[in-house]
Amino acid sequence: MIPPSPPKITAVEVVATRPTDADRRIFAVLRERDDKTIEEISFVVKLRFAAMPEPTSLGWALYVGSERIPKYWSYKHGIYFKVYELQYFAEHRGDSIRFSLDHHDFVDTGHRLADPSGGSSRPAAGTSPLPTLDQALDD
Amino acid sequence: MTRPADPSLPGPHAFDAVVYAAPGLNYAAVPPLSQYVVYDSPDAGYDTGSIDISDFANLGSAPWPFPNTAMPINGQLRVPRGRGPFPLALFAHGNHNPLVDSTPGYLYLCELLASHGIIAATIDVNFLNGFNFGENDARAIIHLEHLKQFRAWNSTANHPLCGQIDLTRIMIVGHSRGGEGVGHASYFNRLGAIQPTLVSPVVPLDGSAGLGPYGFRLSAVMAIAPTDAQYVPLTGPTVVPDAYFLIHGSRDGDVFTFSGYDTFNRAHAVNLPNPTVSDFRPKGLLWVYWANHNQFNSVWPSEFSGAPVLPRGEQEGIVKVYIGALAQAKLLDRHEYDATLKDHAAAHAWLPPLLLCVSQYQDPRRIFVQHEQEGPGFPQISLPIQGVILADSVGAMRGLFDLANTFGPQFTYTLRLDWNTSPARLPMNVDPTTFAAHRFSVLSFRTGQSVDPANVVDRDQDFTLEISTGMRTFTARASSFHRLLYPDTAVSAGKIVMQTVRVPIDALIDRGLDPADIRQITLSFDQRPSGSIYVGEVQFSD
Repeated sequence: MIPPSPPKITAVEVVATRPTDADRRIFAVLRERDDKTIEEISFVVKLRFAAMPEPTSLGWALYVGSERIPKYWSYKHGIYFKVYELQYFAEHRGDSIRFSLDHHDFVDTGHRLADPSGGSSRPAAGTSPLPTLDQALDD
Repeated sequence: MTRPADPSLPGPHAFDAVVYAAPGLNYAAVPPLSQYVVYDSPDAGYDTGSIDISDFANLGSAPWPFPNTAMPINGQLRVPRGRGPFPLALFAHGNHNPLVDSTPGYLYLCELLASHGIIAATIDVNFLNGFNFGENDARAIIHLEHLKQFRAWNSTANHPLCGQIDLTRIMIVGHSRGGEGVGHASYFNRLGAIQPTLVSPVVPLDGSAGLGPYGFRLSAVMAIAPTDAQYVPLTGPTVVPDAYFLIHGSRDGDVFTFSGYDTFNRAHAVNLPNPTVSDFRPKGLLWVYWANHNQFNSVWPSEFSGAPVLPRGEQEGIVKVYIGALAQAKLLDRHEYDATLKDHAAAHAWLPPLLLCVSQYQDPRRIFVQHEQEGPGFPQISLPIQGVILADSVGAMRGLFDLANTFGPQFTYTLRLDWNTSPARLPMNVDPTTFAAHRFSVLSFRTGQSVDPANVVDRDQDFTLEISTGMRTFTARASSFHRLLYPDTAVSAGKIVMQTVRVPIDALIDRGLDPADIRQITLSFDQRPSGSIYVGEVQFSD
């Protein structure tokens, strides 16, 4: 049997969003863990696919660099995962986005983690509030 | 003892079909979700509730009419008529197109169990389906919350299920990602709280915040073609603490990695510092040649496997035999069906005549002659048994091998044996004063052949087993206990799924051997001029 191919990513976008209640509980964990103030922005990293594959059970584990993203979710045009600390983008700047079936062999998507400071994160002061998750995924 | 009846055949109980669901659902208003309208109008008395699993999972891209803070407890149930209490079995599907209701796909199994006097339901977890990943902890929570719903009904006065459920006899079954989920559910069932990921809050599972408490007595956990470790707890890959059973097809075109083998090997593994300590739970597996992934669910179309597969009816029949026997043995105390769980040969008359299977079983009562887990290298007799292993013209090496041909090694050590001259021998010399073989009913070990050139393609491997006391020797070909099949290479390069060979101690006694005086167990490679086999867990057991 020929091993399946991972979905083809056409774009990576980071959107700063308004946190959900569950996100706020995560921010509380991070505040307590790091003993510091954290700005409550949930960054949604959207990986847009050329075509949405049929779901299977085996699935593709997603990696940024060597770090496995523990959970990701589908939206109309691809998948997304959440990042809760701006620092994450600095730590993973330029890291390849990769898929793996077995955590042993990796398929490089050819894309790297986008930097929210490049203009796609927090809107300037005085502009409209951050979008909700649903709004961020509705494109 | 009379021969037990075919467990895949319907039993004597008539049963009722019931739909249970959270109130207020309106799938009818969402045309893409038209398959779910059955949950818009649950049967009288079967309103449930919804749960907040937002600390575990988001919804996928389907237009679900509820948020992840209010996921409904929906299911389809078969209730035997008559006087209870009846055992309970709950089935969970895996990942599939979320616009297709995967739930009814196990009604054929629910109806079989209900006809034998078991309340059986198949649960709705479709809202987690889609191109998501890492959500199998949520599948586990949902499975446990369904159990909680049944426990509540069992104690609700005037409810149709009041007092009808035997909560000391519960089996959870999951297919595919739902199969991974039941392993996590078995683990979560014993926890008072869980932190799903490194950044997640600690989520109480004690009822203080909506989820739990659980603490169910799970008689069996059954995984059908499961994934493994898509969700990994912070404590490491889940080790299933309950009786664990597994079925998987050699031509699975989805979970072609046979990931459940890793779950199986982690479960009830030897406790290396205390190898005689048992956790009192068995485990077993059935590897079905030519079975695929989707045909275990009656509403999923067959996936592309790249090779012919069993007819759907045959595949459903096989899982009915195995799960039927498991339910009979573990939920109904009909221990005559234990034999099928220990060795699929006991089910020979109930299975298709040309079907090829491999089965494994580890009983909780055992003492290892060799468990192999001491590490890589030449094999040794495992403590507390004293002895020494010799190798005569046979290469013997323990290692972490890629038995399932999944690009990476297994997580448990296995012994590899190679010979290219015959006879070659591997004698295991043991001191009979350091163990009590006569207190067990079988000598058992796992063994299977590889696809290495030393084995002939599509030919069974074989060798002679010699068991000696100071005075007598029992000899028999391994094939007289079980065929050692060549791996199915049609879908992958061939997975080495070892067969558990069980040699009855009574057979030794019948030949005049005193099992209390066993001094040597020898694998004698005199049946084939060459070969490569793997061996695991030589033990005296039940």
